[in-house]
Amino acid sequence: MSFVRQILAKTPQGVHWAKTVSNSSRCMSSVGSRDAPPIDVSQVIAQPEELERKRKLSGAITVPTKVDLSPISGVPEEHVKTRRVCIHLPPKNAMQSGTDNLNHWVIEFDNRERWENPLMGWTSTGDPLSNMEVTFGSKEEAIEHCERNGWRWFIDAEEKPKVERVKNYGLNFHWNRRTRTSTK
Amino acid sequence: MFRAPLTKVIQGRFGSPTHGITSKAIRSSAALSQTPAKAPEKIEVFVDDVSVKVLPGTTVLQACAVAGVEIPRFCYHERLSVAGNCRMCLVEVEKSPKPVAACAMPVMKGWRIKTNSEMTRKAREGVMEFLLMNHPLDCPICDQGGECDLQDQAMAFGSDRSRFTDINHTGKRAVEDKNFGPLVKGIMTRCIHCTRCVRFACEVAGVEDLGTTGRGNDMQIGTYVEKLFLSELSGNVIDLCPVGALTSKPYSFVARPWEIRKVSSIDVLDAVGSNIVVSTRTNEVLRIVPRENEDINEEWLADKSRFACDGLKRQRLVAPMVRMPNGELQAVEWEGALISVAKAIKDAKGAVAAIAGQLVDVESLVALKDLLNRNGGETLCTEQNFNVKGSGSDLRSNYVCNTTIADLEQADAVLLIGTNPRYEAPLINTRLRKSYINNEMDIASIGPKIDLSYNHQNLGEDAGLISQVCNGGHPFSKVLENAKKPAIVLGANVLERPDAAGIHTTVASYCKKLNKQGWNAFNVLQNNAGQTGALDVGYQPGTQAALKAQPKVLILLGADGGKVDREKLPKDCYVIYIGHHGDNGASIADAVLPGAAYTEKQAIYVNTEGRAQQTLAAVSPPGMAREDWKILRALSEILGTPLPYDNLDDLRNRIEDIAPHLVRFGKLESSTFGNLTEQLATSKSIENTKIDVKQKKLREYFMTDPISRASPTMARCVREVSGEEAKEESQRQAAC
Amino acid sequence: MAKYLGLDRLGKIFQIIRQSGGIKNAYMKLYRFDDLKVGTLVGTDKYGNRYYENPYYFYGRNRWVEYADHLNLEYDGSQIPADWYGWMHYKTDLPPIRDGSRPKYKWMADHSENLSGTKEQYMPYSTTPPKVQAWDPKKSK
Repeated sequence: MSFVRQILAKTPQGVHWAKTVSNSSRCMSSVGSRDAPPIDVSQVIAQPEELERKRKLSGAITVPTKVDLSPISGVPEEHVKTRRVCIHLPPKNAMQSGTDNLNHWVIEFDNRERWENPLMGWTSTGDPLSNMEVTFGSKEEAIEHCERNGWRWFIDAEEKPKVERVKNYGLNFHWNRRTRTSTK
Repeated sequence: MFRAPLTKVIQGRFGSPTHGITSKAIRSSAALSQTPAKAPEKIEVFVDDVSVKVLPGTTVLQACAVAGVEIPRFCYHERLSVAGNCRMCLVEVEKSPKPVAACAMPVMKGWRIKTNSEMTRKAREGVMEFLLMNHPLDCPICDQGGECDLQDQAMAFGSDRSRFTDINHTGKRAVEDKNFGPLVKGIMTRCIHCTRCVRFACEVAGVEDLGTTGRGNDMQIGTYVEKLFLSELSGNVIDLCPVGALTSKPYSFVARPWEIRKVSSIDVLDAVGSNIVVSTRTNEVLRIVPRENEDINEEWLADKSRFACDGLKRQRLVAPMVRMPNGELQAVEWEGALISVAKAIKDAKGAVAAIAGQLVDVESLVALKDLLNRNGGETLCTEQNFNVKGSGSDLRSNYVCNTTIADLEQADAVLLIGTNPRYEAPLINTRLRKSYINNEMDIASIGPKIDLSYNHQNLGEDAGLISQVCNGGHPFSKVLENAKKPAIVLGANVLERPDAAGIHTTVASYCKKLNKQGWNAFNVLQNNAGQTGALDVGYQPGTQAALKAQPKVLILLGADGGKVDREKLPKDCYVIYIGHHGDNGASIADAVLPGAAYTEKQAIYVNTEGRAQQTLAAVSPPGMAREDWKILRALSEILGTPLPYDNLDDLRNRIEDIAPHLVRFGKLESSTFGNLTEQLATSKSIENTKIDVKQKKLREYFMTDPISRASPTMARCVREVSGEEAKEESQRQAAC
Repeated sequence: MAKYLGLDRLGKIFQIIRQSGGIKNAYMKLYRFDDLKVGTLVGTDKYGNRYYENPYYFYGRNRWVEYADHLNLEYDGSQIPADWYGWMHYKTDLPPIRDGSRPKYKWMADHSENLSGTKEQYMPYSTTPPKVQAWDPKKSK
């Protein structure tokens, strides 16, 4: 199933298909009855401006205000005002070829001082956010999260389109090009 | 720069609106120039019944990647040639009787590829079973454990049981270990013969030392005869190896991948600005591995950048020091050190000069410049010299790689003047080598005979050849002029010569002739990470100005090159060193202020093509050391001329005022005014002396800066490599 | 009658003062130990601490120690050596000086008091090697 999801997420056709699947239950019920929809009398006789007002009142209202959670989130002021958040895509591990964990955005806080504990020589930190790594589906979500929490943020990655390379097994044996391999 | 409104970011702009537009325009135009004139028609294939359109000639594996399906692989690597020998990528194609090797097979129109079918699953399990049959079960003591492709893929695609029942362990294959040198550890029993390392050595590094002997069960990877793997890129085979056969020697048995914290950063040990990941644990840098960046380092990393990180723990300045009346440096508290430094600067009454070194970041450069200007000092220089006559360092296009690193691999004729990119910028050399292989590029060099890892024509050592080529009188001029994308690379050290102005203007005006639409042929290959940034913020190149001024106070900002010594300075000159390593600079200083190394600060560095990038702090500076710009900020407070920035954001805003391109990270601004170089030229005379390069042999590559000089690993490299090179030399002489 | 009037206590005070060696010494003892008691001297240990007992007082307060004079106010429970500790804590009624069966070997360590809060106290230190090797200006020459 995860594999299906992967494909759905990758191709535009897949997305379209996913939408149709999710809508299908609703479609089914309406397709079942071929009758004309019942007429609502109050709708028909209403004034156009009244209808407009009703339309506006229905549904959720979103107020475009800046939300600042920092006064009520309980995060100490020091960790709101002095922290800098890095929003980035996790880099691929150079050792591994898998790419599954690289497609989300991560927020990470700046590194703070660590010191050596004199008793055992272990390393201590006074930073409660040092282990905080939150993943997001998109850059915008990550930015919004930082904005809401009042953290200063910066973006340290960009999505670059993958370079298309033409790979050709035959080039190894090309008769006059330098791609010919002499050793193996 | 931070906390840009959401709308701005969604539109793809990060800085102020105007910057966003320009950078966008530049990027789109670059993309246009790269796409071929007529794109071939795409063909449709089906991956697990999902249709994808790909270019003809695309392999099955690539088509599946487009569809978002990852095919397991061992031998296949994006940046290496196709080998097709591990068979892990077998997939079923409908109507094909046998599974096909996805990495080598080009797709045909209408193919239905099944990556999840019974046949594919069986093929994978079969291959995995064979691989594991002869692979030792030593994961608990293997350094690759936790980031091993074989582990991952055995988990994901292997069978849940094995038919290997040889409990007496008589049948498992064992191979003798080989010594590949001071950096790469070979445990050859673990090898699964993917030949990635062989292909990397032959194709990218250009050292045909590695190869295979024997076949079947007796196949072995090795160097045929016993010798070290002598390459400046040898560390990359550690990353490439999908199992633990090739691991890092300095990092062996140090840490597990799940214990480490990873911080994305930038390398500063050469001027390429490779992107790196710094792995740390317990406030200690453990290793450095490359991070993918198509525009700069692809996914390789030079050995110095990768292995010199243990130099960050040696010879560090951990406390401020002041020279006592008995002539010895003594550790003091910050307050005392800053007060005595401030007193010296005040007493100098403006006779203050500063020299910036090799590894300095833009923040501290700007802070130092502001500090000095507020205290009457105007003499700010870089340690490395450059042509100052004519337009000199006033025009940005005069001192950067205008062709850009990524575009150099499209060049088809290149002339190198007084540079050895193999050791000065190994990752630019790989680009050139790539072009040599794929574009049939012609390369010539003026300078001593060196091994560039590919065939090239050495025109001679004489500097007079430069004017000969640039007048069109040399046979190679024809090659350059007939080329579609020619490039000339000037070494930074050539421009330290007394006749630098002549060479600079001659080459620049010849390049003007070579330039095509959207192609700039003129390149200066810097070899110091701090140089481009320093010239960008208006430092004068060369120490002459500072020495001529005979200052009463000289501030060395990480200047460790040894170009300044006590004899050249006035006797009562007070030398202040700000930096992170105890090296040439600190030993002549009267006051030492400990700064942070590149893994310990968030700082901007500009690479040789003029791309600004920032490092992130991976660990905290040792002891009492602080970030360099903070030291200067504190000093300014004591001097009574406080700098107007209290945090990094304010400082970055100040940098943006001076040079806005320096805070647009990762983006490349094209240099304008290149045409003015010729008009501002003063002389074109070139002396007929020999051109030399500093790094000719691999042993000269390892120690070039305070960090690598302090590194025990680099010291071992120098020792072992010079032994090996001497051995080779004597063998060669015996053969003659 | 005398008991009823509390005169016997007055007598006791005189007795205590007498045993302490005068008003001045009694005052010093009160100053040092916040207490004045009369009892029989059971013994003295090698550090000069004197141990008293008086069954007149309630159990728990009937054995006490007067620390050696040179300690002044710097006395501490851990200065009682291990052999007297048992007697002080009613583990035994035989004071060590009268108990012949106690083992005495040459290798037995001398008593040491708790040094916390003094200059000689134990300070933990890191046993791990330093992670960063500092530059030594003298070595580089």
